[in-house]
Amino acid sequence: MIRRRFPWFSYLVVVTGAVLTVVPFLDMVMTSFKGPGESGTLPYRFLPEAFDLSNYRAAIDQLDLPVLFRNSVIATALITGSVLLTSSLAGYALAKLRFPGRNFIFRLVLSTMMFPPFLFFIPHFLILVHWPLVGGNDLFGRGGAGLTVSITALAMPFLVNGFGIFLMRQFMVSIPDEVLEAARIDGAGEFAVWWRIVVPQTKPVMVTLGLLTFVDAWNEYIWALLVSTANPDVMTLPVGIQLLQDYVDPTRTMPIVMAGLVLSILPVLILFLLLQKYYIRGVMLSGLK
Amino acid sequence: MVNALAPETTERVHSPRDAGSTGSAVDGRRRTRLRRRQAVVGYLFLAPTLLFFAVFLILPLGFALLLSMSRWAGFDLGDIDPVGLDNFADLFVDGSTFLAPILTNTLLFALGTVALALAGSVLVANCIDKLRLQGLWRTLYFLPIVTTVVAIGNVWKYMYEPGGLVNGVLNALGLGSVAFLQDPDTALPAVVVVQAWASVGTAILILTAGLKSIPDSYYEAAALDGAGPVTVFWKITLPLLRPSLLFVCITQFITGLQSFALIIVMTKGGPGDATNVAALEMYRQAFSYGDWGTASAAAFVLFAVVLVVTLVQLWIFRLKGEDT
Repeated sequence: MIRRRFPWFSYLVVVTGAVLTVVPFLDMVMTSFKGPGESGTLPYRFLPEAFDLSNYRAAIDQLDLPVLFRNSVIATALITGSVLLTSSLAGYALAKLRFPGRNFIFRLVLSTMMFPPFLFFIPHFLILVHWPLVGGNDLFGRGGAGLTVSITALAMPFLVNGFGIFLMRQFMVSIPDEVLEAARIDGAGEFAVWWRIVVPQTKPVMVTLGLLTFVDAWNEYIWALLVSTANPDVMTLPVGIQLLQDYVDPTRTMPIVMAGLVLSILPVLILFLLLQKYYIRGVMLSGLK
Repeated sequence: MVNALAPETTERVHSPRDAGSTGSAVDGRRRTRLRRRQAVVGYLFLAPTLLFFAVFLILPLGFALLLSMSRWAGFDLGDIDPVGLDNFADLFVDGSTFLAPILTNTLLFALGTVALALAGSVLVANCIDKLRLQGLWRTLYFLPIVTTVVAIGNVWKYMYEPGGLVNGVLNALGLGSVAFLQDPDTALPAVVVVQAWASVGTAILILTAGLKSIPDSYYEAAALDGAGPVTVFWKITLPLLRPSLLFVCITQFITGLQSFALIIVMTKGGPGDATNVAALEMYRQAFSYGDWGTASAAAFVLFAVVLVVTLVQLWIFRLKGEDT
């Protein structure tokens, strides 16, 4: 059998697939530049007549984009920061410290990854509504809206991530104990050992976990929808754009919605392109999503 | 969920006890003090995590279980009215839409996305493996994964419109327009395609890792024997890729059984109940109708379905002598 120099069949498959993957994004971008009456009309046209930037201005105006953006940024920052911190701390304890109950806690962490998220939507929402002594609630969580009035509600259920702890622990196990022991003999406390020795060594896996968490938090929709239904002030970008899509005439405002979508996925897209090596490693490690 | 990493790695334990102890009384006291200090620090480091799990894992599970066996109208926790298993019975009573079409849709949705995503990703991953610029291709296939479901759902919803891209292509080919999302017969398959489209990237990535781990010597031997590319694919690639395939299969199936965000964005379960799935039904019962009891019961039924389906898949794989 003669080995073909040029694997034309493979190119055909891969290029066709890549076109199928990319075309919806191109359609989104093209539609975002279409003028009034240019989208949703027959026959379908891919390219806009003129690249009309007014949809972007309209999206920014109609959507109150700065507020949505701010809420998304705050929630994403809270989640990413907290997940990194708690995963690193807990991972260190589970990997390098010895204490009774350690194995049980590790198993608990593993088991959290098995519970489906939808099981928690209702109780999480009720817990936040009935959080004691905030948002007009009394000591028994009655009378007010609880934590659902604050931006923190967007982040609360995601502040700790079982997979994150697991990932950090697996990585930290391979750090030699001798290094930690030497630091301890030099008089470093456990906190200093963690901060000065362990954290610097785990930077690559921190970037991986941080990026995975960031992308998930930025794109989260269902929980943010739930919280902002109770309190529209904490609406995030995905929720706001979906709302615009729901309430206005689809043929006229589709370009505006698409402009909003382009703006909303841009930050995460740029970050992904810059750090995709880490993101891809994270997905391969987790295999989730 | 199943993980790519082995859950337990063998640890090299060097406790302070092994670190040059001479067994003297002073050392003994030092050891005890060290161990006690490690325990305190360990729990200190774990405190935020444990607190979180208590409030956002243990408490909610108990709460959900309680709600699933109660009728609860309002917001006062004192009004929770225990009704035993009535909520579960209501889900399966004659005339209930839960079993059909909702659970049926859920299974069809998961099956459809797994089948499409698996077929597409096996084909593409296998072909990418033969090309140059593999990183570029993988990046392209990865775009949907980093995109919010709101963007994916809206773009595809728009593409399915009569004036959208899909119908534009159909019309250009001389075919009539299809009202994909408005027709009860096409709505579910239309959403399945989108979910599969969105998940192919992850599958490609995991399968590529699997392909890389197949030793070249197998292919060289096959080439010597004069095997064609199709034979090589069926006799060597697919069997050796089985662990990765199983992994993709299980994780995608679980995701498929649970997903509903895309459906909320694209069809809201309609037309009628044509695209309604269990997680969406649960969501609507709770947050549209305020029927927390039925919603919680539905959540546990779905959990049970996910668990059973996963166990069955694992069992089938074991049966075939594969360890995932």
